[in-house]
Amino acid sequence: MNDVEKVIVVGLDGLEPTIVDRLLARGELPNLARLRAQGGYSRVATTTPAQTPVAWSTFATGVNPGGHGIFDFLRRDPATYLPDLALNRYEQKSAFLPPKVVNLRRGTPVWRVLGDAGIASAIIRCPCTYPPDDSRGRMLSGMGVPDLRGGLGTSTFYSNAADLVARESEQVVPLVLENGGTRATAHVIGPRNPKSRADLVAPITLELDPSSRSASLQSEGQPRTIRLREGEWSEWLRLKFKSGLLQSVSGIVRFLLVSAGPDAALYASPVNFDPLAPHFPISHPWEYATELQREFGDFYTTGMVEDHTGLSNERFDEAAYLAQCDGVMREREQMLMHELSRQREGLVFCLFDTPDRLQHMFWRFGEEGHPANREQESAEYAGVIEEHYRQCDALVGRVLAAVDDRTLCIVMSDHGFNSFQRGVHLNAWLHAQGLLALKPGIRPGEDAGELLRQVDWSRTQAYAMGLGSIYLNIRGRESEGIVAPDEAPSVARRVADALTGLVDPDRGAVAIRRVRTRDELYSGPFAEESPDLVVHFAAGYRVSWTTALGGVPDGLVEDNVKKWGGDHIIDPELVPGVLFMNRPFAGGAGDVAAVPGPRLQDLAPTILASLGVPAAPAMEGRSLLD
Amino acid sequence: MRLLVIGLDCAAPALLFGDERLVNIRRLMDAGVYGRLESVIPPITIPAWRCMVTSRDPGSLGVYGFRNRGDHSYSKLEIANSRSFKALTMWDHLALEGRKSVIIGVPPSFPPPRVNGISVGCFMTPSVDDVYTNPPEVADEIRDLVGEYLVDVKGFRTNDKDWLREQIFEMSRKQFTVVRHYVEHAEWDYFHFVNIALDRVHHGFWKYMDPSHPDHEPDSPWRDVISDFYLHLDEEIGKLLELVDSETAVLVVSDHGAQALHGGFCVNEWLVKEGLLVLEEYPDTVTPFGKLKVDWTRTTVWSEGGYYARVFLNVEGREPTGAIPAASYESFRDEIARKLAAITGPAGEPLGTLVFKPQEIYREVRNVAPDLIAHFGALDWRSIGGVGYQGVLHVRENDTGPDDCNHAQFGAFILAAPNVPALGEMQGARLLDIAPTLCEVGGYEIPDSFQGRSLFDGSLRDASTGGDLSAEGEEIIRQRLSGLGYIS
Repeated sequence: MNDVEKVIVVGLDGLEPTIVDRLLARGELPNLARLRAQGGYSRVATTTPAQTPVAWSTFATGVNPGGHGIFDFLRRDPATYLPDLALNRYEQKSAFLPPKVVNLRRGTPVWRVLGDAGIASAIIRCPCTYPPDDSRGRMLSGMGVPDLRGGLGTSTFYSNAADLVARESEQVVPLVLENGGTRATAHVIGPRNPKSRADLVAPITLELDPSSRSASLQSEGQPRTIRLREGEWSEWLRLKFKSGLLQSVSGIVRFLLVSAGPDAALYASPVNFDPLAPHFPISHPWEYATELQREFGDFYTTGMVEDHTGLSNERFDEAAYLAQCDGVMREREQMLMHELSRQREGLVFCLFDTPDRLQHMFWRFGEEGHPANREQESAEYAGVIEEHYRQCDALVGRVLAAVDDRTLCIVMSDHGFNSFQRGVHLNAWLHAQGLLALKPGIRPGEDAGELLRQVDWSRTQAYAMGLGSIYLNIRGRESEGIVAPDEAPSVARRVADALTGLVDPDRGAVAIRRVRTRDELYSGPFAEESPDLVVHFAAGYRVSWTTALGGVPDGLVEDNVKKWGGDHIIDPELVPGVLFMNRPFAGGAGDVAAVPGPRLQDLAPTILASLGVPAAPAMEGRSLLD
Repeated sequence: MRLLVIGLDCAAPALLFGDERLVNIRRLMDAGVYGRLESVIPPITIPAWRCMVTSRDPGSLGVYGFRNRGDHSYSKLEIANSRSFKALTMWDHLALEGRKSVIIGVPPSFPPPRVNGISVGCFMTPSVDDVYTNPPEVADEIRDLVGEYLVDVKGFRTNDKDWLREQIFEMSRKQFTVVRHYVEHAEWDYFHFVNIALDRVHHGFWKYMDPSHPDHEPDSPWRDVISDFYLHLDEEIGKLLELVDSETAVLVVSDHGAQALHGGFCVNEWLVKEGLLVLEEYPDTVTPFGKLKVDWTRTTVWSEGGYYARVFLNVEGREPTGAIPAASYESFRDEIARKLAAITGPAGEPLGTLVFKPQEIYREVRNVAPDLIAHFGALDWRSIGGVGYQGVLHVRENDTGPDDCNHAQFGAFILAAPNVPALGEMQGARLLDIAPTLCEVGGYEIPDSFQGRSLFDGSLRDASTGGDLSAEGEEIIRQRLSGLGYIS
């Protein structure tokens, strides 16, 4: 394969094979069909669990999660039993040094192997690249970059409603109307002061014009005045938050005017790092983000861009969410095209997250009887997902224009998609089995709270935390562990066997297909950090909302009534991704019987082999191009 | 709590606090307290650093500058060294409690002071071939670390600016390498080093940076040498802070500031002109004071040069051939002080000279003090001791080589520690307050011999008293996970 000079990887997060198949059959994905004809198309086995950061980390490093250390969005601290984001952490060596971000994805990514061989890469928005790797070429960090509040995305809702209460991942600021309802002063909430923990704010003034359904927003930021129209996303506003006498933090925010009056309401996106002055590094080299900003203007920098919480919280409607998704796709495509136009050799990778975020929020429209569906909802959204796939296909068409006969072009997803109608309360099940005990007098439900706060660790053998992970309470590892280390495998086995085949009592269907243990799933230097058990849900099921953060609710399975009605954190066998290449590849002709099908582990070796670079020793996959 | 003192000789508050690119400095400022630090009189490296670590003024230490009269004769001038000071330092007091110290280049540190720990000589070390460390084998370790260690740039008053820049940076880098090594590997409760390179870079490059300097050269290739050096310091300090744990107090401090040097005032030339200093013969060429033929029977006043003037009166019964009756000493001294204060600039403008009597500014006056101390033009002008300027009193050239800046009365300090609240800028801090402040921050008793007072005046609480950590921890977690979507 020495004729390949350039590899393009277009990641379409969460693209579901059965939908792709259906649309291919209808001839509605002409560009993907062209790729299939030139090279091939297959499913690609995802990781366990089937989660974006886990899967793309395996893509990047060619190893199972035991080799790169990302097992779930969430990890837990065995000393405190508290969860935290698993993608990165902040270290502060002394109180006087700025904290540093540490990427928790380990292993050797393909771009480092290429860089060592003198080949450059342009990596745009790959998950778990925050902080960016210091490797040859350019990198813009993806999932893992926080907003200025330090979370994945905290939005702000402004309203003059008397009963204004913050919903999920949200802050609220009351609007006090003056001047006959045409004027209001408020503020944008910036980061917290690291010492006092007080919110740093930037004042804004709204001049509302209900008759034209518009408003203007004035601030000390840039630009001083921005125009808002109902239902439309504003341009970016750049604000500085003074974090001390001597330091300030810059961020960018955009608004959606929900109503100009008489009841005024305004939505503000999470405040993103300013690409010109990011609070922590988000690109390599450092000035790459600056360069992109100068080329294309401000862009979303947070790791999870789409404001799904605004839609979940019903602060704005599906149309506004779709408009945002379109903008994100365009923004990302500009970046990709920019690199394609100037990088002649090596690897160009760009992840489009939007297919995943869009399917989470629109899946339910395709399913009659989804518990999240409301009465009198428009049918117009039932076709949104398929339309989005067609848009992705058109995007692939534009990429293919930059592909020549010395280019290997890969279009792929990291996992598929499925329904999320029912949530399983794993901690409630553990409690019912006597494996998890609550403090005296505490019953499952509201009393038990979250974060495993009311768990009696002296009588608890297992607990669930994260998106399908179960941990044993092991002596010497957990601070109040009781399971002897040498008994852990048998306890794990017992839990796995008992939970496998769990039936949803309301529906009579199997909710859990399998439960697999660490030893079955992971190998490598970081396998010890993994959960002890990973639950493989059946289609339509997922871990319940409250279990993820260590809740112990009453009942076993509940309806999912949130607009987030689709998901993929189920048995990985049920949600493989898709893989298209413009060159024939093993498994790409559908001859799956001859070889084990492609896995995410195979992509890094494939990219390396095509560019004539040997795979890194730890890589577990094989090149699909032989 | 361990105490780390990062001494930046001559650091100027405006430069240290005014550049937001100095991210590590900013971080420290934001984490604790900072401000201008009023130095002693005179604001000179010797004795200022020793005043700081003993919390005693120059008079109480009996050391008034580099050169001090050894007795009341006309010729015995002694160069101060580490043995000229008897008062107990911070590290001496800590050693009494069994605490260990590392002292690197804290003037005067030659001969290398005996400490309970390690000491390394300062810029006064004649050569690193001399024994300049204590214990002596530390010198071998240093050689292994950096090759030839530089205690100073010999001949820093030079016009070869490229060479000078290189030497200064090399000296500083080597010192930081050594400092990092001992911060990491030595046992210490008190660590104090002084970077003399900053003083040298100010003296050598100020005029290129400062448009108000009379000899400013705009757009000089050396325009940014000083700001580059501050960036270098900031980077090195950042690396150093990586090595200390959060139970360490960090003090960045200077012994004095820096300001543009407008020229030299020929003090002895002026005294000759005034008839106060009488020469047997006026020299044909500019001649240092020590080589002049002075008529000591008729001379009433003479002075030493330097960044400031030490003015001496020739008093009957005190000096060998005193010409001022002892009874009229005070009135004579007042008269001279008035004359000095009235000295004008080259165009006859008021110079704003400050004149001090040791008895008024020091708690004690030990050894042989000057009778008067003069800061010409509040140190805009230095003091030229030589005579032979043919009546010219104001000169631009310096008699000891090119020099762009003088010392300023106000240095700077930044103090950050786990038990120090982030109070921001603090007014009114004085150099003698540093050691008692360090004692309070470090949890040590403030010795009776200290003349300053702690900036916190006993108000620091135990660092371990915090809020409800678990509640805060949970909130931080929620914040971190906010917007993830998969959870609620």
